[in-house]
Amino acid sequence: MILFRIALRNLASHKLKSFIVGGLLAFGTLLLVVGLALLGTLDVSMEKSVSNSITGQLQAYSADAKDKLAIFGNMNGGTDIGTIGDFARVRQVLESHPDVQAAIPQGLEGGMVYGGNIIDTKLEALRQAEKAGDKETSAVVRAHVRRIVGLLAADMAKIGEVTDLANASTETRQAVADLATAGNDAFWQDFDRDPLAAMEFLENKVAPLALNAEMLFFRYLGTDPVRFAKAFELFEIVDGQAIPPGQRGFLFNKLNYEDAVKHKIARRLDKMKDRLEDGKTIADDTDLQAWVKLNKVQYKEITFQLDDRATKQVRESLQKHLSSTEVALEKLLPLFFEVTDANFATRYKLFYDVVAPHLMLYAVKIGDTMTVKGFTAAGYPTSANVKVYGTFRFKSLDKSALAGSLHMMDLMTYRDLYGYLSADKKAEIELLQKASGVKEIKREDAEAELFGGGGEEVVDAGAATPTDVAVAASPVDEAAAATQVAAHGPSKPAGGLGERASNATKLYRDELNKRVYTQQQIDTGVVRNIAIILKKGVNQRAAAASIQALLDKEKLGLQVVDWRTASGAIGNFLWVIYSVLAAALGVIFIVAIIVMNNSMVMATLERTREIGTMRAIGAQKSLIVQMFMAEAVTMALVFGAFGAGLAGIIIAVFNHIGLPAWNDVTIVLFAGPRLYPTVGLHHMLIAGVLVSLVTLFSTLYPAWLAMRVTPLQAMQDAE
Amino acid sequence: MATGQPIVALTGVSKDYHLGKVVVPALRNVSLAIEPGEFTVIAGPSGSGKTTLLNLIGCVDVASRGQVLVDGQDTGTLTEKQLTRLRLEKLGFIFQSFNLVGVLDAYQNIEFPLLLQKTLGKQEREKRVRDLLERVGIAQYAHHRPGELSGGQRQRVAIARALVTQPRIVLADEPTANLDSHTGTAILDLMQELNRAGTTFLFSTHDPRVVSRAGRVVRLIDGEIADHDASAADRLAIQ
Repeated sequence: MILFRIALRNLASHKLKSFIVGGLLAFGTLLLVVGLALLGTLDVSMEKSVSNSITGQLQAYSADAKDKLAIFGNMNGGTDIGTIGDFARVRQVLESHPDVQAAIPQGLEGGMVYGGNIIDTKLEALRQAEKAGDKETSAVVRAHVRRIVGLLAADMAKIGEVTDLANASTETRQAVADLATAGNDAFWQDFDRDPLAAMEFLENKVAPLALNAEMLFFRYLGTDPVRFAKAFELFEIVDGQAIPPGQRGFLFNKLNYEDAVKHKIARRLDKMKDRLEDGKTIADDTDLQAWVKLNKVQYKEITFQLDDRATKQVRESLQKHLSSTEVALEKLLPLFFEVTDANFATRYKLFYDVVAPHLMLYAVKIGDTMTVKGFTAAGYPTSANVKVYGTFRFKSLDKSALAGSLHMMDLMTYRDLYGYLSADKKAEIELLQKASGVKEIKREDAEAELFGGGGEEVVDAGAATPTDVAVAASPVDEAAAATQVAAHGPSKPAGGLGERASNATKLYRDELNKRVYTQQQIDTGVVRNIAIILKKGVNQRAAAASIQALLDKEKLGLQVVDWRTASGAIGNFLWVIYSVLAAALGVIFIVAIIVMNNSMVMATLERTREIGTMRAIGAQKSLIVQMFMAEAVTMALVFGAFGAGLAGIIIAVFNHIGLPAWNDVTIVLFAGPRLYPTVGLHHMLIAGVLVSLVTLFSTLYPAWLAMRVTPLQAMQDAE
Repeated sequence: MATGQPIVALTGVSKDYHLGKVVVPALRNVSLAIEPGEFTVIAGPSGSGKTTLLNLIGCVDVASRGQVLVDGQDTGTLTEKQLTRLRLEKLGFIFQSFNLVGVLDAYQNIEFPLLLQKTLGKQEREKRVRDLLERVGIAQYAHHRPGELSGGQRQRVAIARALVTQPRIVLADEPTANLDSHTGTAILDLMQELNRAGTTFLFSTHDPRVVSRAGRVVRLIDGEIADHDASAADRLAIQ
């Protein structure tokens, strides 16, 4: 048609101007299509990683919640999202809905566990040796403990050089005195006279002073592990086994287990190995160099844990490997950790073959029963013993700390820790009442008794858990310790009320970990939120509305949100990117509109006579407007198509090579280490419509100006 | 050649322009009829109202008073859209500076009014445009753009464009003003030849050569018709 011919000719006759405006349009279109394609793909991949790992497609939680549910958003788990009192009933209602595949109970909490204490571990070994009458081992272990006491005393002496210990706090002065006692020859000569008393002294007074009695903080998800594993397809066991059906238990998230629970030097070597396999070299990579340095100076993390027998074995191996005659392990180890790209592989293997077998490689081992400490909803300190069955991960997200920081606990233990009075808890209270001779405890006192003080804190889960003195040493548990001291005096479990209650509780708790619960028992009770898994192909939004209606009808007092809202900050992340993209496009298109508008106004003024002539020889106003529109549309089509085509190529390239994730968050967003974006016809259409609108908008004013040109202007020109 | 009904009939037409509060009369009480087949010149000095008169007849302006009939239609009663349609169907325009569409070639410029009319098919359009290209003597330049043509060639394109819709009358505003005398004469020859073949022409000019060729001269002075005699004496008087 003639209008397009005129338009094309006009565009061609103003090449520079057309290319500037067209370039803007093409770039805008390119950004729009690439942005929409990436975000579209991100939306899908993020839904996959978030909803298939933890949240489900929908989440239900209390309608009375003070705070919004934010599964990835709040690291302390302390938001008040209310509770769901009767999960069994809610589950029944939810699973009666035709769109719902499963309703999985959940609750997020933060907790802490004491990392293995070397003295505790050694004392346990000593106890075993004493029990077995193995004099030789007993002697080796005793020597090791004595050496550790010596190291601690030396450290304390160093502190004494910079501070005035005589005027220090009571605790510090007491620590100095205890270390002196334990370092005394007399103490060790008298050891055999009363080994139990000596060991108890070491356990209660000295062990807490050991350097590596670290506290591990972590977040865990209380859930029904069997049904969780079935519902979330990304979940898989890595080490050990799943928590047996119906039983209490704990699973570590593999990534965090390696990062936080593993021996520091071993973990660092593992990370170095990964990095070297990624193609980095020690010669060039500053992180690797820093890790080499850290390993060299932190050799005490190893020597501290080796007894004489182990020291001898390690020394001989290292001497042989390094062809050295050096006797001091303190010098051999830094030499050994001076690794290069050439010798890393051999030394890594040697470390695991020779050194690692003598170390506590993990502060908590799979198969250990550990004591998890937390706080009840009312704020009382509380604890529970729970067996670690294994580690798990979410497939393809296993490198992301964001997805890798959440551990898993069975619902029964979770409820105990969170302070809900389950049937088991009631039984325990009764047992405590009987054992301690207390006749009646009011509800509020009972909680204080259960979670805040009493014998419970004295119970040890085993070698890898602290004593009650360790508890007192931690500031978080000060209140608990104070209560304890007030109630029972010094907390040595040496008979009396505390000991009886404690022993009864310990026995009771051991029994708890063996107990097998029915599904009915697991379901009955409190949960905090529920992951709703929808059947395949169900429309999420429609399902959410319909499920909400059902819950309202049943008067369950729950609100339903989608995975995006439920995941908290990360769910909003996509909106942040959308906003950034929108802002960038806004700027580009506004500039395009201004530039186009300007150039077309100029063109109108330049073409006044031409327009006047057309009007004079019979062109209607509408035709003049159409002529301008045609020019704009041609521009949009030509350059928009070019931009969209280029965008298509870019996305195709990304799709082929994959866009690598660069951090924790992007691994979750990409649902794996790489994103393979795809572009849809609808992205092109949206871009086409938007670019056309932008060009048409920029044509409005010049077209209006052109419309006002009269045929007279063609005539007057002649005069 | 008179057929009874004039193509253009002006009765008591006046046109005032307003410059602020001052009213400037451009035409005063002009009455005029143009019959089919005429080759008429409106002559007069600058500012005498030639172009104003041509604009009123060309339906690009409306009279302040009086009646302008074009092909029997009273232009004062028509809407802008109808006036545009009237220009397209009944009138042909030739401008002093040719006023061709720069981005279109000669052929496309000539074809343009036919595309606006939307009455002819592609083949009929092509035939008519080719014929005209031949008649105005620029067939070999059909696909040259105006920038590639001389002034005379451009005016020939403009004449062909004015004729392509087969209008009742062709209005030419100083058609030779931008041409050298040799070219101007050739263009006048062409128009006279076309007039003999039946096209009605109305010129505004102060070029004596144009006046000398006119079948009839309408002389305007200060917006009034001083004289509209077709005799040679008139022509000589203006000269």
